[in-house]
Amino acid sequence: MLSMKNISKVFQTADIQTHALRDFNLTVNEGDFVSVTGPSGSGKTTFLNIAGLLETFTSGEFTLDGENVGSLNDNGRSKMRNHKIGFIFQSFNLIPDLNLFDNVDVPLRYRGFNAKERKKRIEENLERVGLASRMKHLPSQLSGGQQQRVAIARALATDPRFLLADEPTGNLDSEMAQGVMSLLEEINKQGTTIIMVTHDAQLAQRSPRTIQVMDGRVSELDLQLAATSQQAIA
Amino acid sequence: MFSYYLRLAWISILRHWGLSLLMICAIGLGIGATMTTVTVNYLMSANPIPHKSEQLYYVQLDSWDVNDPFDDGLNPPDQLTYTDSTNLMKAAKAFRQNVQAQAYGVIEPADKDLLPISVTARANSADFFVMFDVPFIFGSAWSAQSDLSKEQVIVLSKKINDQVFGGENSVGKTIKFDNNLFKVMGVIDDWQPKPRFYDITTGAFNESEDVFVPFSLIAEEKVRRSGNTNCWKPSGDGMAAFLAGECVWTQFWVELKSEQEKQDYMTFLNAYVQEQKQYGRFQRPMDNRLSNVMQWLENQEVVADDARMMMAMSFMFLTVCLLNTIGLLLAKFLGKASEIGLRQALGASKSTLFFQYILESACIGFAGGLLGLGLSFLGLKGIESLYGEYMQGLATLDIPMMVLAIVLALICTVIAGLYPTWRACNISPAQQLKSQ
Repeated sequence: MLSMKNISKVFQTADIQTHALRDFNLTVNEGDFVSVTGPSGSGKTTFLNIAGLLETFTSGEFTLDGENVGSLNDNGRSKMRNHKIGFIFQSFNLIPDLNLFDNVDVPLRYRGFNAKERKKRIEENLERVGLASRMKHLPSQLSGGQQQRVAIARALATDPRFLLADEPTGNLDSEMAQGVMSLLEEINKQGTTIIMVTHDAQLAQRSPRTIQVMDGRVSELDLQLAATSQQAIA
Repeated sequence: MFSYYLRLAWISILRHWGLSLLMICAIGLGIGATMTTVTVNYLMSANPIPHKSEQLYYVQLDSWDVNDPFDDGLNPPDQLTYTDSTNLMKAAKAFRQNVQAQAYGVIEPADKDLLPISVTARANSADFFVMFDVPFIFGSAWSAQSDLSKEQVIVLSKKINDQVFGGENSVGKTIKFDNNLFKVMGVIDDWQPKPRFYDITTGAFNESEDVFVPFSLIAEEKVRRSGNTNCWKPSGDGMAAFLAGECVWTQFWVELKSEQEKQDYMTFLNAYVQEQKQYGRFQRPMDNRLSNVMQWLENQEVVADDARMMMAMSFMFLTVCLLNTIGLLLAKFLGKASEIGLRQALGASKSTLFFQYILESACIGFAGGLLGLGLSFLGLKGIESLYGEYMQGLATLDIPMMVLAIVLALICTVIAGLYPTWRACNISPAQQLKSQ
């Protein structure tokens, strides 16, 4: 479903070249919940940006849902983002001037749904994250956890095949972080493929599959398997 | 999506109201200054009689001093002598012809309670009214026969008819003008061609006259003439000597319906001048001219050079205002980089974002255009009060100029918004989302 083969990404400045990703290989199947960990500067976010079609790659092959992403133009990439990918960001990225209803409405507008369909989806998804009663509130009137829930509702509103989450709990306290994580798990159980970048090893352990990015390369860990093995040895 | 973008533009304008207000003021000032000068130029250069300006011709003959050419030899005299005008009238070679001069006098109302009224007058031929499409409320023009028989007939303006006859149909009544009784033949409606093309020599933007009387009455001294008089050699004493002299003080218009008629009339003028040379007149090389209305206005430089200069300067000022607007838009749109990045992540293509932000620029331009309209109105009022009568009637914004102000503001702002919008839409979403 998501396949990256020998992906490399080089950032070029006047003086130096920085290799953010080198021979990056990864396959994610439908329904997976993959945590991506690694130290700062290892290339996690670059990977997520490329996976979310927010950034181009220098070389390699990337197919998403069977489609070769490298051949898409700006319109094609926008359309694919809108139809197949949902984003959740560390800092929520809600538009401060728009209320919750209008924030969730943004991707639906670009999708071209009619007013009735948009309203239905907005209400359903805000209901799903427990914020239906606060539709007319501005983001600034919500707590961090609630804002992230709105961001999740926005990401889910278009029924994406993929949910890409970049440190979704990074700005939340542990209680709120657990709540958001539980929500993501629930969403994954309903069939949405999730790729989550996180620094938090505990949260990463909650996902069935974890990959580690080091120096722009991927090394896969099955933390649950490792944990089971450790228990067996003990 | 259009209404959605409009709503987003409105929210954005309110959110950054200070910056938006600065841009609206910058555009408003630029548009206000530009539209003020454009309006003055537009009204100065307007065609006052568009449906027949190509058929009305002003006649010029070079009867001037052989040793001291008129206007350094660039143009023949701007008026004709009485001799030439009356000769051309008698020849009657054009479809219609009109000889005229400015006049003045005093009207003494029959009602003794009313004070005498000092009026401006035009002494002209009967064809004046039909040639220049003068609208009548009551009656009509006098006849050509009245001109020939020097009848004391008069056509009143609506203003004078209101003052003297209380606005009633005064046709057939008599009125005392300069101690002579005149029979009222007609009353014209408000009529103010802009520019007042039929007599540039006494002011292209002066008001049209209060009363109209036959030109032939000047020779009879029943009407006192005024206006510009230029002489290159002294005439003798007395009215008869003045009329026979080489002073130019009459204007002569002809109506010619086709190019052929124009050529025929020019042939006639050349023959006339050739004939006059035999009497010792017209010693200069032949320079007869027939100028249609717009050519005549151009020749007489009705649009003043300083008005053109002011317009050019106001456009430069508008450019400066737009450059400021570009800077402000750039600051505003780049300040929204994170939102732009987010919208891209959520599925907006560069083209949809470009449209959204250009529409926001256009909304600012529209508001600036409205402010500019208000400032233009004030600017024109200021010009009117500074220049007084000269600008009377030129300091008005008509519907086409109002539409132009808004359209100009929209076009300018959209152009000003192109670069900031392009920059904003080329923001890397990944970088913006990361920097949050």
